[in-house]
Amino acid sequence: MQSEYAIETSSLTKVYRSRWKRREVRAVDGITLNVPRGTIFGLLGPNGAGKTTFVKLLLSAVHPTNGNALLFGRDAREAEARRPIGYLPENHRFPTYFTGAGMLDFYAALSGMESSQRKKLIPEHLDLVGLDKWGDMRIGKYSKGMLQRLGLAQALIHSPSLLILDEPTDGVDPVGRRQIRDVLTRFEEKGVTIFINSHLLAEVETFCRQVAILHKGKVALSGTMQDLTAGKGYRLSVAQAPAALMEELRTKAASMASRDGLCDFQFATREQVNEAIDLLRAQRCDIEALVPTTSTLEEVFVRTVEK
Amino acid sequence: MKDLWTASLALIRDTFREAFARKIFWGLFGLSVLMILFFLFLLKIDLVEGGLAAISLFGRTANPATDVDRLVRGVYGGIATFLYTWGMAIAVFASAGLIPSVLEPGRIELLLSKPVSRTHILLGRYVGNVLVVACNIVFLVLGVWTILGAKTGIWSKTFLISIATTVFAFAVLLSVVVFIGVLFESTALSTMVAVALMIMSPILAQTSVMLRLLSSEWSRQIWRTLYYALPKVYDLGKMTLDAIQSRTFEGYMPIWTSALFGAVVLAGALAIFVRRDF
Repeated sequence: MQSEYAIETSSLTKVYRSRWKRREVRAVDGITLNVPRGTIFGLLGPNGAGKTTFVKLLLSAVHPTNGNALLFGRDAREAEARRPIGYLPENHRFPTYFTGAGMLDFYAALSGMESSQRKKLIPEHLDLVGLDKWGDMRIGKYSKGMLQRLGLAQALIHSPSLLILDEPTDGVDPVGRRQIRDVLTRFEEKGVTIFINSHLLAEVETFCRQVAILHKGKVALSGTMQDLTAGKGYRLSVAQAPAALMEELRTKAASMASRDGLCDFQFATREQVNEAIDLLRAQRCDIEALVPTTSTLEEVFVRTVEK
Repeated sequence: MKDLWTASLALIRDTFREAFARKIFWGLFGLSVLMILFFLFLLKIDLVEGGLAAISLFGRTANPATDVDRLVRGVYGGIATFLYTWGMAIAVFASAGLIPSVLEPGRIELLLSKPVSRTHILLGRYVGNVLVVACNIVFLVLGVWTILGAKTGIWSKTFLISIATTVFAFAVLLSVVVFIGVLFESTALSTMVAVALMIMSPILAQTSVMLRLLSSEWSRQIWRTLYYALPKVYDLGKMTLDAIQSRTFEGYMPIWTSALFGAVVLAGALAIFVRRDF
Protein backbone atom coordinates (compact mmCIF):
# COMPACT_ATOMS: atom_id res chain seq x y z
CA MET A 1 0.00 0.00 0.00
CA GLN A 2 1.48 3.35 -1.04
CA SER A 3 0.83 6.26 1.24
CA GLU A 4 1.70 9.90 0.75
CA TYR A 5 2.81 9.97 4.36
CA ALA A 6 5.90 8.43 5.87
CA ILE A 7 4.30 8.54 9.31
CA GLU A 8 0.59 8.63 10.13
CA THR A 9 -0.71 8.35 13.64
CA SER A 10 -4.31 8.37 14.68
CA SER A 11 -5.34 9.06 18.29
CA LEU A 12 -2.12 7.38 19.37
CA THR A 13 -2.17 6.98 23.13
CA LYS A 14 0.14 5.42 25.66
CA VAL A 15 -0.87 5.19 29.29
CA TYR A 16 1.62 3.80 31.78
CA ARG A 17 0.05 2.25 34.83
CA SER A 18 1.96 1.45 37.98
CA ARG A 19 1.52 -2.20 38.88
CA TRP A 20 0.23 -1.81 42.43
CA LYS A 21 -0.95 1.75 42.95
CA ARG A 22 -3.05 1.85 39.80
CA ARG A 23 -1.66 5.29 39.10
CA GLU A 24 -1.84 6.40 35.49
CA VAL A 25 0.55 8.50 33.45
CA ARG A 26 -0.64 9.52 30.00
CA ALA A 27 2.74 9.78 28.27
CA VAL A 28 1.17 10.15 24.82
CA ASP A 29 -2.38 11.38 24.73
CA GLY A 30 -4.30 10.91 21.49
CA ILE A 31 -1.72 12.17 19.03
CA THR A 32 -2.85 12.45 15.42
CA LEU A 33 0.05 13.48 13.23
CA ASN A 34 0.95 13.12 9.57
CA VAL A 35 4.50 13.43 8.31
CA PRO A 36 4.63 13.73 4.50
CA ARG A 37 7.25 11.80 2.56
CA GLY A 38 10.48 13.58 1.78
CA THR A 39 10.25 16.27 4.44
CA ILE A 40 12.44 17.04 7.42
CA PHE A 41 10.19 16.99 10.44
CA GLY A 42 11.15 18.21 13.89
CA LEU A 43 9.46 16.97 17.05
CA LEU A 44 9.91 19.37 19.93
CA GLY A 45 8.77 19.50 23.49
CA PRO A 46 9.94 20.06 27.03
CA ASN A 47 11.27 17.17 29.11
CA GLY A 48 8.53 14.64 29.82
CA ALA A 49 6.35 15.86 26.95
CA GLY A 50 6.18 12.33 25.50
CA LYS A 51 8.59 12.72 22.57
CA THR A 52 10.62 9.58 23.24
CA THR A 53 7.52 7.50 23.99
CA PHE A 54 6.03 8.71 20.71
CA VAL A 55 9.16 7.58 18.83
CA LYS A 56 9.12 4.23 20.65
CA LEU A 57 5.48 3.79 19.65
CA LEU A 58 6.47 4.31 16.02
CA LEU A 59 9.14 1.64 16.36
CA SER A 60 6.87 -0.72 18.29
CA ALA A 61 9.28 -0.79 21.24
CA VAL A 62 6.26 0.36 23.24
CA HIS A 63 2.74 -0.93 22.63
CA PRO A 64 -0.05 1.65 22.23
CA THR A 65 -2.89 1.75 24.74
CA ASN A 66 -5.10 3.17 22.04
CA GLY A 67 -4.92 4.40 18.46
CA ASN A 68 -2.52 3.29 15.79
CA ALA A 69 0.58 4.26 13.86
CA LEU A 70 1.36 3.63 10.21
CA LEU A 71 4.75 3.75 8.53
CA PHE A 72 4.43 4.25 4.78
CA GLY A 73 0.89 2.93 5.11
CA ARG A 74 1.82 -0.25 7.03
CA ASP A 75 0.90 -0.96 10.62
CA ALA A 76 3.95 -0.02 12.69
CA ARG A 77 3.55 -3.19 14.76
CA GLU A 78 4.52 -5.36 11.78
CA ALA A 79 8.23 -6.16 11.69
CA GLU A 80 8.20 -5.59 7.91
CA ALA A 81 6.99 -1.99 8.42
CA ARG A 82 10.36 -1.23 10.02
CA ARG A 83 12.40 -2.36 7.02
CA PRO A 84 12.58 1.14 5.41
CA ILE A 85 13.50 2.78 8.72
CA GLY A 86 16.86 3.90 10.01
CA TYR A 87 16.88 4.75 13.70
CA LEU A 88 19.39 6.43 15.95
CA PRO A 89 18.29 6.20 19.59
CA GLU A 90 18.99 8.72 22.30
CA ASN A 91 21.30 7.40 25.05
CA HIS A 92 22.26 4.47 22.88
CA ARG A 93 24.39 1.77 24.40
CA PHE A 94 26.17 0.04 21.56
CA PRO A 95 27.93 -3.13 22.78
CA THR A 96 31.56 -2.16 23.35
CA TYR A 97 32.87 -5.50 22.05
CA PHE A 98 32.10 -4.38 18.50
CA THR A 99 34.56 -2.67 16.23
CA GLY A 100 33.04 0.17 14.20
CA ALA A 101 32.88 -2.02 11.10
CA GLY A 102 31.60 -5.01 13.13
CA MET A 103 28.76 -2.96 14.54
CA LEU A 104 27.67 -1.77 11.11
CA ASP A 105 27.88 -5.35 9.85
CA PHE A 106 25.64 -6.64 12.66
CA TYR A 107 22.89 -4.05 12.32
CA ALA A 108 23.01 -4.17 8.51
CA ALA A 109 22.57 -7.96 8.66
CA LEU A 110 19.56 -7.51 10.95
CA SER A 111 18.13 -5.21 8.30
CA GLY A 112 18.39 -8.12 5.87
CA MET A 113 21.43 -6.97 3.88
CA GLU A 114 23.48 -9.70 2.29
CA SER A 115 27.13 -10.21 3.12
CA SER A 116 28.45 -8.95 -0.24
CA GLN A 117 26.40 -5.74 0.04
CA ARG A 118 27.58 -5.20 3.59
CA LYS A 119 31.23 -5.63 2.63
CA LYS A 120 30.82 -2.97 -0.04
CA LEU A 121 28.78 -0.47 1.97
CA ILE A 122 30.50 -0.58 5.36
CA PRO A 123 33.70 1.25 4.27
CA GLU A 124 31.58 3.74 2.29
CA HIS A 125 29.45 4.58 5.33
CA LEU A 126 32.40 4.78 7.70
CA ASP A 127 33.88 7.24 5.25
CA LEU A 128 30.59 9.13 5.03
CA VAL A 129 30.65 9.91 8.76
CA GLY A 130 34.41 10.50 8.90
CA LEU A 131 35.30 7.25 10.68
CA ASP A 132 37.07 5.49 7.81
CA LYS A 133 40.29 5.18 9.82
CA TRP A 134 38.49 3.89 12.90
CA GLY A 135 36.58 0.94 11.47
CA ASP A 136 38.82 -1.72 13.04
CA MET A 137 38.94 -0.07 16.45
CA ARG A 138 36.76 -1.35 19.31
CA ILE A 139 33.99 1.17 19.90
CA GLY A 140 34.76 1.17 23.61
CA LYS A 141 37.57 3.53 22.63
CA TYR A 142 35.30 5.90 20.65
CA SER A 143 34.39 9.37 21.94
CA LYS A 144 30.73 10.34 22.41
CA GLY A 145 30.76 12.26 19.13
CA MET A 146 32.31 9.34 17.24
CA LEU A 147 29.70 6.97 18.65
CA GLN A 148 26.99 9.35 17.53
CA ARG A 149 28.41 9.45 14.01
CA LEU A 150 28.76 5.66 13.97
CA GLY A 151 25.15 5.41 15.14
CA LEU A 152 24.16 7.62 12.23
CA ALA A 153 26.07 5.38 9.79
CA GLN A 154 24.23 2.40 11.31
CA ALA A 155 20.91 4.15 10.67
CA LEU A 156 21.84 4.94 7.07
CA ILE A 157 23.62 1.80 5.84
CA HIS A 158 20.55 -0.03 4.54
CA SER A 159 19.38 3.01 2.52
CA PRO A 160 16.26 3.76 4.57
CA SER A 161 13.36 5.85 3.30
CA LEU A 162 12.66 7.22 6.77
CA LEU A 163 15.27 8.28 9.29
CA ILE A 164 14.17 8.62 12.90
CA LEU A 165 16.83 10.43 14.86
CA ASP A 166 16.56 10.97 18.60
CA GLU A 167 18.82 13.87 19.62
CA PRO A 168 21.21 13.21 16.72
CA THR A 169 23.76 15.89 17.62
CA ASP A 170 23.73 15.30 21.36
CA GLY A 171 27.31 15.38 22.66
CA VAL A 172 28.75 16.20 19.25
CA ASP A 173 31.16 19.14 18.84
CA PRO A 174 30.28 21.95 16.39
CA VAL A 175 32.39 20.46 13.59
CA GLY A 176 30.79 17.03 14.05
CA ARG A 177 27.37 18.67 14.16
CA ARG A 178 28.04 20.37 10.87
CA GLN A 179 29.19 17.05 9.42
CA ILE A 180 26.00 15.33 10.58
CA ARG A 181 23.88 18.13 9.10
CA ASP A 182 25.71 17.82 5.78
CA VAL A 183 25.11 14.06 5.70
CA LEU A 184 21.44 14.54 6.48
CA THR A 185 21.10 17.23 3.82
CA ARG A 186 22.52 14.82 1.28
CA PHE A 187 19.93 12.21 2.26
CA GLU A 188 17.15 14.79 2.19
CA GLU A 189 18.11 15.55 -1.41
CA LYS A 190 17.67 11.86 -2.18
CA GLY A 191 14.08 12.10 -0.93
CA VAL A 192 14.59 10.45 2.45
CA THR A 193 12.10 11.57 5.12
CA ILE A 194 13.92 12.73 8.23
CA PHE A 195 12.16 12.80 11.59
CA ILE A 196 14.19 14.54 14.28
CA ASN A 197 13.41 14.47 17.96
CA SER A 198 15.47 17.23 19.51
CA HIS A 199 15.53 19.87 22.18
CA LEU A 200 18.04 22.01 20.26
CA LEU A 201 15.59 24.60 18.94
CA ALA A 202 18.10 26.54 16.86
CA GLU A 203 19.12 23.39 15.09
CA VAL A 204 15.56 22.33 14.40
CA GLU A 205 14.76 25.85 13.19
CA THR A 206 17.56 25.89 10.63
CA PHE A 207 17.13 22.32 9.50
CA CYS A 208 13.49 21.26 9.66
CA ARG A 209 10.71 22.14 7.23
CA GLN A 210 7.87 21.07 9.51
CA VAL A 211 7.55 21.03 13.25
CA ALA A 212 5.25 19.69 15.96
CA ILE A 213 5.51 20.77 19.56
CA LEU A 214 4.41 18.20 22.11
CA HIS A 215 3.26 19.26 25.53
CA LYS A 216 1.88 16.95 28.22
CA GLY A 217 1.56 14.12 25.71
CA LYS A 218 -0.46 16.14 23.18
CA VAL A 219 0.37 18.04 20.03
CA ALA A 220 0.22 21.61 21.24
CA LEU A 221 1.22 23.14 17.92
CA SER A 222 2.21 21.88 14.48
CA GLY A 223 2.81 23.30 11.05
CA THR A 224 5.49 24.35 8.61
CA MET A 225 8.43 26.21 10.02
CA GLN A 226 7.55 29.20 7.85
CA ASP A 227 4.02 29.41 9.24
CA LEU A 228 5.03 28.92 12.84
CA THR A 229 7.71 31.58 12.78
CA ALA A 230 5.61 34.03 10.77
CA GLY A 231 5.18 36.49 13.63
CA LYS A 232 6.70 39.05 11.29
CA GLY A 233 7.08 42.76 11.85
CA TYR A 234 9.55 45.60 12.27
CA ARG A 235 11.56 46.77 15.22
CA LEU A 236 12.14 50.52 15.36
CA SER A 237 14.84 51.70 17.75
CA VAL A 238 14.69 55.30 18.94
CA ALA A 239 17.22 57.07 21.18
CA GLN A 240 15.45 60.22 22.21
CA ALA A 241 12.01 61.65 21.54
CA PRO A 242 9.56 63.91 23.35
CA ALA A 243 7.52 62.09 25.99
CA ALA A 244 4.24 62.76 24.20
CA LEU A 245 5.55 61.30 20.98
CA MET A 246 6.93 58.31 22.85
CA GLU A 247 3.50 57.75 24.37
CA GLU A 248 1.85 58.06 20.95
CA LEU A 249 4.27 55.53 19.44
CA ARG A 250 3.68 53.19 22.35
CA THR A 251 -0.03 53.15 21.67
CA LYS A 252 0.51 52.44 17.96
CA ALA A 253 3.15 49.73 18.49
CA ALA A 254 2.46 46.09 19.28
CA SER A 255 5.03 46.25 22.07
CA MET A 256 7.73 48.45 23.48
CA ALA A 257 10.91 47.57 25.35
CA SER A 258 13.80 49.64 26.69
CA ARG A 259 17.43 48.59 26.48
CA ASP A 260 20.75 50.46 26.67
CA GLY A 261 19.12 53.87 26.50
CA LEU A 262 17.10 52.91 23.44
CA CYS A 263 13.40 52.33 23.07
CA ASP A 264 12.45 49.41 20.81
CA PHE A 265 8.98 49.60 19.28
CA GLN A 266 7.62 46.51 17.60
CA PHE A 267 5.21 47.16 14.70
CA ALA A 268 3.24 44.46 12.97
CA THR A 269 2.90 46.04 9.48
CA ARG A 270 4.91 48.16 7.10
CA GLU A 271 2.20 50.88 7.13
CA GLN A 272 2.38 51.18 10.90
CA VAL A 273 6.16 51.49 10.95
CA ASN A 274 6.09 54.05 8.10
CA GLU A 275 3.60 56.12 10.04
CA ALA A 276 5.86 55.96 13.12
CA ILE A 277 8.86 57.02 11.04
CA ASP A 278 6.88 59.97 9.65
CA LEU A 279 5.99 61.10 13.17
CA LEU A 280 9.58 60.85 14.36
CA ARG A 281 11.01 62.65 11.34
CA ALA A 282 8.40 65.41 11.64
CA GLN A 283 9.84 66.16 15.07
CA ARG A 284 13.45 65.68 13.81
CA CYS A 285 14.05 62.73 16.10
CA ASP A 286 16.85 60.29 15.29
CA ILE A 287 16.08 56.74 14.31
CA GLU A 288 18.84 54.43 15.55
CA ALA A 289 17.73 51.26 13.75
CA LEU A 290 14.93 49.71 11.75
CA VAL A 291 15.02 45.91 11.61
CA PRO A 292 12.54 43.50 10.04
CA THR A 293 11.78 40.72 12.56
CA THR A 294 10.28 37.25 12.68
CA SER A 295 9.30 35.15 15.70
CA THR A 296 12.03 32.69 16.53
CA LEU A 297 11.10 29.09 17.09
CA GLU A 298 12.24 29.54 20.66
CA GLU A 299 9.63 32.27 21.19
CA VAL A 300 6.97 30.08 19.63
CA PHE A 301 8.07 27.13 21.75
CA VAL A 302 8.07 29.08 25.02
CA ARG A 303 4.70 30.63 24.24
CA THR A 304 3.26 27.20 23.45
CA VAL A 305 4.46 25.35 26.52
CA GLU A 306 3.68 28.23 28.88
CA LYS A 307 0.09 28.48 27.78
CA MET B 1 13.29 -16.26 3.88
CA LYS B 2 16.85 -15.27 3.03
CA ASP B 3 16.49 -12.15 5.21
CA LEU B 4 15.32 -14.35 8.06
CA TRP B 5 18.37 -16.55 7.72
CA THR B 6 20.75 -13.55 7.50
CA ALA B 7 19.22 -12.02 10.63
CA SER B 8 19.30 -15.34 12.51
CA LEU B 9 22.97 -15.85 11.70
CA ALA B 10 23.70 -12.27 12.79
CA LEU B 11 21.97 -12.84 16.16
CA ILE B 12 23.84 -16.11 16.74
CA ARG B 13 27.16 -14.57 15.71
CA ASP B 14 26.49 -11.65 18.05
CA THR B 15 25.97 -14.06 20.98
CA PHE B 16 29.30 -15.71 20.17
CA ARG B 17 30.97 -12.31 19.87
CA GLU B 18 29.64 -11.29 23.28
CA ALA B 19 30.63 -14.66 24.77
CA PHE B 20 34.16 -14.11 23.44
CA ALA B 21 34.27 -10.53 24.71
CA ARG B 22 33.04 -11.48 28.17
CA LYS B 23 35.63 -14.28 28.23
CA ILE B 24 32.78 -16.78 28.64
CA PHE B 25 33.75 -18.78 25.59
CA TRP B 26 37.44 -18.72 26.39
CA GLY B 27 36.73 -19.47 30.06
CA LEU B 28 34.78 -22.59 29.15
CA PHE B 29 37.34 -23.49 26.50
CA GLY B 30 40.19 -23.03 28.99
CA LEU B 31 38.49 -25.31 31.52
CA SER B 32 37.93 -27.89 28.78
CA VAL B 33 41.61 -27.74 27.82
CA LEU B 34 42.61 -28.15 31.47
CA MET B 35 40.35 -31.18 31.75
CA ILE B 36 41.81 -32.71 28.58
CA LEU B 37 45.34 -32.03 29.83
CA PHE B 38 44.41 -33.80 33.04
CA PHE B 39 43.36 -36.87 31.09
CA LEU B 40 46.50 -36.65 28.98
CA PHE B 41 48.39 -36.79 32.25
CA LEU B 42 46.45 -39.93 33.10
CA LEU B 43 48.04 -41.51 30.03
CA LYS B 44 51.15 -41.78 32.13
CA ILE B 45 49.30 -44.13 34.47
CA ASP B 46 48.62 -47.56 33.12
CA LEU B 47 44.91 -47.45 33.66
CA VAL B 48 44.20 -50.96 32.41
CA GLU B 49 47.03 -52.78 34.11
CA GLY B 50 46.49 -50.71 37.27
CA GLY B 51 42.77 -51.52 37.26
CA LEU B 52 43.32 -55.21 36.79
CA ALA B 53 45.93 -55.23 39.55
CA ALA B 54 43.43 -53.55 41.83
CA ILE B 55 40.88 -56.28 41.07
CA SER B 56 43.48 -58.94 41.92
CA LEU B 57 44.19 -57.19 45.21
CA PHE B 58 40.75 -58.20 46.40
CA GLY B 59 41.53 -61.87 45.83
CA ARG B 60 39.65 -62.14 42.52
CA THR B 61 41.10 -63.56 39.38
CA ALA B 62 40.85 -60.95 36.70
CA ASN B 63 39.34 -61.87 33.37
CA PRO B 64 41.13 -59.38 31.11
CA ALA B 65 38.53 -59.37 28.35
CA THR B 66 35.40 -58.64 30.42
CA ASP B 67 36.91 -56.86 33.38
CA VAL B 68 38.84 -54.36 31.28
CA ASP B 69 35.73 -53.54 29.31
CA ARG B 70 33.71 -53.10 32.51
CA LEU B 71 36.46 -51.07 34.11
CA VAL B 72 36.80 -48.71 31.16
CA ARG B 73 33.05 -48.28 30.90
CA GLY B 74 33.05 -47.45 34.61
CA VAL B 75 35.71 -44.80 34.01
CA TYR B 76 33.74 -43.44 31.04
CA GLY B 77 30.60 -43.35 33.20
CA GLY B 78 32.36 -41.55 36.05
CA ILE B 79 33.81 -38.98 33.70
CA ALA B 80 30.47 -38.46 31.93
CA THR B 81 28.73 -37.88 35.28
CA PHE B 82 31.44 -35.42 36.31
CA LEU B 83 31.28 -33.52 33.03
CA TYR B 84 27.49 -33.55 33.01
CA THR B 85 27.12 -32.15 36.53
CA TRP B 86 29.93 -29.65 36.71
CA GLY B 87 30.05 -28.77 33.04
CA MET B 88 26.41 -27.80 33.11
CA ALA B 89 26.66 -25.85 36.37
CA ILE B 90 29.61 -23.85 35.00
CA ALA B 91 27.80 -23.30 31.70
CA VAL B 92 24.72 -21.94 33.52
CA PHE B 93 26.85 -19.62 35.67
CA ALA B 94 28.85 -18.44 32.67
CA SER B 95 26.05 -17.76 30.24
CA ALA B 96 23.27 -16.43 32.49
CA GLY B 97 24.29 -12.82 31.75
CA LEU B 98 23.91 -13.14 28.00
CA ILE B 99 20.13 -12.69 28.10
CA PRO B 100 19.71 -9.66 30.43
CA SER B 101 22.56 -7.86 28.63
CA VAL B 102 20.57 -7.70 25.43
CA LEU B 103 17.64 -6.07 27.26
CA GLU B 104 19.68 -3.09 28.47
CA PRO B 105 18.06 0.28 27.71
CA GLY B 106 19.72 1.89 24.71
CA ARG B 107 20.49 -1.51 23.20
CA ILE B 108 17.13 -3.22 23.02
CA GLU B 109 15.38 -0.26 21.33
CA LEU B 110 17.82 -0.40 18.44
CA LEU B 111 17.34 -4.15 18.05
CA LEU B 112 13.57 -3.71 18.10
CA SER B 113 13.78 -1.02 15.41
CA LYS B 114 15.05 -3.60 12.91
CA PRO B 115 12.68 -5.62 10.72
CA VAL B 116 13.01 -8.66 12.94
CA SER B 117 10.24 -9.98 15.18
CA ARG B 118 10.74 -10.07 18.93
CA THR B 119 10.32 -13.84 18.92
CA HIS B 120 13.12 -14.07 16.39
CA ILE B 121 15.41 -11.85 18.49
CA LEU B 122 14.95 -13.88 21.67
CA LEU B 123 15.16 -17.26 19.94
CA GLY B 124 18.29 -16.14 18.07
CA ARG B 125 19.89 -15.24 21.37
CA TYR B 126 18.75 -18.52 22.95
CA VAL B 127 20.07 -20.67 20.12
CA GLY B 128 23.35 -18.71 20.08
CA ASN B 129 23.75 -19.32 23.80
CA VAL B 130 23.08 -23.06 23.45
CA LEU B 131 25.60 -23.26 20.58
CA VAL B 132 28.30 -21.48 22.61
CA VAL B 133 27.98 -24.15 25.31
CA ALA B 134 27.51 -26.98 22.79
CA CYS B 135 30.80 -26.10 21.04
CA ASN B 136 32.67 -26.40 24.31
CA ILE B 137 30.94 -29.61 25.36
CA VAL B 138 31.64 -31.24 21.98
CA PHE B 139 35.29 -30.20 22.23
CA LEU B 140 35.62 -31.48 25.79
CA VAL B 141 33.82 -34.81 25.37
CA LEU B 142 35.52 -35.60 22.05
CA GLY B 143 38.89 -34.69 23.58
CA VAL B 144 38.41 -36.92 26.61
CA TRP B 145 36.95 -39.71 24.44
CA THR B 146 39.94 -39.62 22.09
CA ILE B 147 42.41 -39.80 24.96
CA LEU B 148 40.60 -42.61 26.76
CA GLY B 149 40.05 -44.51 23.51
CA ALA B 150 43.71 -44.18 22.52
CA LYS B 151 44.82 -45.29 25.98
CA THR B 152 42.50 -48.24 26.49
CA GLY B 153 41.75 -49.27 22.94
CA ILE B 154 38.06 -49.29 23.87
CA TRP B 155 36.11 -46.68 21.93
CA SER B 156 32.83 -46.44 23.81
CA LYS B 157 30.49 -44.72 21.38
CA THR B 158 27.83 -44.49 24.06
CA PHE B 159 30.12 -42.03 25.91
CA LEU B 160 29.32 -39.57 23.13
CA ILE B 161 25.67 -39.63 24.26
CA SER B 162 26.78 -37.33 27.08
CA ILE B 163 27.20 -34.57 24.46
CA ALA B 164 23.51 -34.77 23.59
CA THR B 165 22.24 -35.14 27.17
CA THR B 166 24.43 -32.34 28.57
CA VAL B 167 23.47 -29.93 25.80
CA PHE B 168 19.81 -30.94 26.14
CA ALA B 169 19.76 -30.46 29.92
CA PHE B 170 21.57 -27.12 29.51
CA ALA B 171 19.01 -26.02 26.90
CA VAL B 172 16.18 -26.84 29.34
CA LEU B 173 17.85 -24.90 32.17
CA LEU B 174 18.63 -22.03 29.81
CA SER B 175 14.90 -21.66 29.13
CA VAL B 176 14.54 -20.89 32.85
CA VAL B 177 17.42 -18.41 32.66
CA VAL B 178 15.71 -16.73 29.68
CA PHE B 179 12.34 -16.62 31.45
CA ILE B 180 13.74 -15.04 34.63
CA GLY B 181 16.00 -12.79 32.56
CA VAL B 182 13.08 -11.44 30.51
CA LEU B 183 10.86 -11.05 33.56
CA PHE B 184 13.30 -9.49 36.02
CA GLU B 185 16.41 -8.65 33.93
CA SER B 186 18.51 -10.14 36.72
CA THR B 187 21.50 -12.35 35.98
CA ALA B 188 21.90 -13.32 39.64
CA LEU B 189 18.27 -14.38 40.02
CA SER B 190 18.36 -16.35 36.74
CA THR B 191 21.42 -18.26 37.93
CA MET B 192 19.95 -18.89 41.37
CA VAL B 193 16.74 -20.38 40.01
CA ALA B 194 18.52 -22.57 37.44
CA VAL B 195 20.98 -23.89 40.04
CA ALA B 196 18.12 -24.45 42.50
CA LEU B 197 16.41 -26.64 39.90
CA MET B 198 19.64 -28.60 39.46
CA ILE B 199 19.93 -29.10 43.22
CA MET B 200 16.27 -30.05 43.63
CA SER B 201 16.42 -32.62 40.85
CA PRO B 202 18.26 -35.47 42.68
CA ILE B 203 16.04 -34.90 45.74
CA LEU B 204 12.82 -35.03 43.75
CA ALA B 205 14.12 -38.10 41.90
CA GLN B 206 13.79 -40.12 45.12
CA THR B 207 10.06 -40.32 44.42
CA SER B 208 9.48 -43.98 45.31
CA VAL B 209 11.15 -43.54 48.72
CA MET B 210 9.46 -40.21 49.46
CA LEU B 211 6.00 -41.42 48.50
CA ARG B 212 6.36 -44.13 51.14
CA LEU B 213 7.64 -41.70 53.76
CA LEU B 214 5.10 -38.90 53.23
CA SER B 215 2.07 -39.38 55.46
CA SER B 216 -0.68 -37.39 53.73
CA GLU B 217 -2.08 -37.84 50.24
CA TRP B 218 -1.89 -34.12 49.39
CA SER B 219 1.82 -33.96 50.25
CA ARG B 220 2.42 -37.04 48.09
CA GLN B 221 0.47 -35.32 45.31
CA ILE B 222 2.59 -32.17 45.61
CA TRP B 223 5.76 -34.27 45.46
CA ARG B 224 4.53 -36.11 42.37
CA THR B 225 3.52 -32.84 40.67
CA LEU B 226 6.88 -31.25 41.37
CA TYR B 227 8.73 -34.31 40.17
CA TYR B 228 6.83 -34.60 36.90
CA ALA B 229 6.62 -30.86 36.21
CA LEU B 230 10.22 -29.80 36.86
CA PRO B 231 13.17 -30.69 34.63
CA LYS B 232 14.78 -34.01 35.50
CA VAL B 233 18.43 -33.08 35.41
CA TYR B 234 19.39 -35.94 37.73
CA ASP B 235 17.38 -38.57 35.83
CA LEU B 236 18.91 -37.44 32.54
CA GLY B 237 22.38 -37.82 34.03
CA LYS B 238 21.48 -41.27 35.32
CA MET B 239 20.14 -42.25 31.90
CA THR B 240 23.45 -41.18 30.36
CA LEU B 241 25.37 -43.27 32.88
CA ASP B 242 23.13 -46.28 32.28
CA ALA B 243 23.59 -45.97 28.53
CA ILE B 244 27.38 -45.73 28.83
CA GLN B 245 27.52 -48.72 31.14
CA SER B 246 25.14 -50.67 28.89
CA ARG B 247 22.48 -50.89 31.59
CA THR B 248 18.81 -50.68 30.78
CA PHE B 249 16.87 -47.62 31.89
CA GLU B 250 13.21 -47.09 32.64
CA GLY B 251 11.71 -45.35 29.63
CA TYR B 252 12.18 -41.91 28.14
CA MET B 253 9.86 -40.01 30.49
CA PRO B 254 12.67 -37.78 31.90
CA ILE B 255 13.49 -36.64 28.36
CA TRP B 256 10.04 -35.70 27.17
CA THR B 257 8.84 -34.18 30.46
CA SER B 258 12.02 -32.07 30.64
CA ALA B 259 11.61 -31.07 27.00
CA LEU B 260 7.98 -30.14 27.68
CA PHE B 261 9.03 -28.07 30.70
CA GLY B 262 11.68 -26.28 28.63
CA ALA B 263 9.24 -25.61 25.79
CA VAL B 264 6.54 -24.25 28.11
CA VAL B 265 8.96 -22.00 30.01
CA LEU B 266 10.54 -20.73 26.79
CA ALA B 267 7.08 -20.05 25.34
CA GLY B 268 6.27 -18.12 28.53
CA ALA B 269 9.45 -16.09 28.17
CA LEU B 270 8.57 -15.31 24.54
CA ALA B 271 5.02 -14.29 25.49
CA ILE B 272 6.36 -11.86 28.11
CA PHE B 273 9.04 -10.51 25.79
CA VAL B 274 6.57 -9.91 22.96
CA ARG B 275 4.20 -7.95 25.24
CA ARG B 276 6.76 -5.91 27.15
CA ASP B 277 7.35 -2.19 26.68
CA PHE B 278 10.98 -1.08 26.41
